[in-house]
Amino acid sequence: MTDPRASSRSPMAALVLGWLLPGAGHAYAGQRGKAVLFASLIIGLLVAGFALGGGTNILPNEWWYAPQLGAGGPTAALTPLSQYLAIRSPIDWASPLREIGTLYTAIAGLLNLLVMMDAYVTVAYPEEREDRAAHRAHRSDGKEGA
Amino acid sequence: MLDALERFFSRLVSLDNPLWFYYPLLAVIAVVYKATKLDRPGDIARASLHFFVSVTLGILVLGLAFYLVSILF
Repeated sequence: MTDPRASSRSPMAALVLGWLLPGAGHAYAGQRGKAVLFASLIIGLLVAGFALGGGTNILPNEWWYAPQLGAGGPTAALTPLSQYLAIRSPIDWASPLREIGTLYTAIAGLLNLLVMMDAYVTVAYPEEREDRAAHRAHRSDGKEGA
Repeated sequence: MLDALERFFSRLVSLDNPLWFYYPLLAVIAVVYKATKLDRPGDIARASLHFFVSVTLGILVLGLAFYLVSILF
């Protein structure tokens, strides 16, 4: 449930915090459970993709870096390490594991954009958001019963 | 036709199939997407499972259709 004090909070702060650390926007909005869920899933996906790609797939000179930047803080933290590993060992561009790892990291960034927008909406329009969530839950209950 | 189906499904469950890497990815997408739409943990779990199964079955049917088209024509 949304914290009743959320109305005194800034939606932009939720957006920026969510970009710096996945889930932090929801923690700011008072939704700690969701904050932990989003942080563990998005950072986990990013790190898993980084590991699958041999640590050489978060590079600013690749187009994939644009979606990866959606997970701002963790991506920024992994970038120097990826650059270091890319210089140290040759990159196997044709490796399927590297491709899958890069996809993981890019999807992690894109998912964080979605999470950031949800944090923004949660702080900016708390009542409308809760109404919509309750309506969706009711609708899915109806489907289950049908 | 039965041989083709057997080949398709044996390839699908073989350990060297890269599709195994897409299941965790799809699971994360399902949970994150549904958690942005719903609030109660039970609703999120149920809707995520529904999303995961629907997309997996959809991809399976599409893959099978493409495979059959590729061997028949």
